[in-house]
Amino acid sequence: MMILVTGGSKSGKSKTAEDIICNSDQKRIYIATMQPYGDEGQKAIKRHREMRKEKGFETIEQYTDIENADIPEESAVLLECIGNLCANEIFSNGISDPTEKIMRGIKYLQNRSSLLVVVTSEVSSDGIEYSESTMKYMKILCEINRRIALQSDEVIETVFGRIISHKDFLMGSK
Amino acid sequence: MKFIVGGAFQGKLDYAAKEYKVNKCDIIKGEELTENMNVEGKCLTEYHLFIKKMLLENKDPLSITEQIIEKNPNIIIMNEIGSGIIPMEKQDRIWREQVGRVGCYLAENAQTMERVICGIAVKLKG
Repeated sequence: MMILVTGGSKSGKSKTAEDIICNSDQKRIYIATMQPYGDEGQKAIKRHREMRKEKGFETIEQYTDIENADIPEESAVLLECIGNLCANEIFSNGISDPTEKIMRGIKYLQNRSSLLVVVTSEVSSDGIEYSESTMKYMKILCEINRRIALQSDEVIETVFGRIISHKDFLMGSK
Repeated sequence: MKFIVGGAFQGKLDYAAKEYKVNKCDIIKGEELTENMNVEGKCLTEYHLFIKKMLLENKDPLSITEQIIEKNPNIIIMNEIGSGIIPMEKQDRIWREQVGRVGCYLAENAQTMERVICGIAVKLKG
């Protein structure tokens, strides 16, 4: 089973995703894609680590190439997040369009796990025209989000910690 | 407290005015709101701008929001601003983060919560 969690920055995506994983009895694996840049990055990572500490997650740091993540079979996997992963593949790994590569990675994780929760980020609703490279990143990320959503059993959007179900698989939206 | 959210210009205040019969004189805009104001029964709109103002005054928006909630405002309206690229300016990043955190707190403490899109309200709580 695959569940996609999307939403704006600080809208409660991580907590929602963790809660879903913690409802399963499988071994809990957290794939972290965020590279610790500067003070703020360190702080965000520290905050997320605290949130997961008591929940029994094993953390795997995998900034790119998720298809190489060494995860035990039949585990419950939380991949966070596609926004970072996509940026890392493009800007650190130098892959101009990582769509197919990331989708192969997702397929691999789906095959290895009994439950895969994917967190992504909603980045294209502020109406601002960014530089060409940023616009290209946004377009690629949205394409990947659509592809994952299509294959997911459930797509959840978070709004200030509340949940909207877009496939009505886990819960009604109302 | 009723919490109404949504993107800019989606009709949040119009919806609140119609649905909850808000008088014009009971509306307080975020930029005009101050932490010590009597907000009982009021409709606080553009609350994200109040958060920005508090940050500019080096105050903690979350603890001030806790105090404001205790005074029983009727409605709080706030924009969703988190669905974009990470802002270049640190101050904007802090604002965006604080709007998210305060929003989660308000959602938690609201009796009802609605999100307005194209003038249509979708109930998210209550």
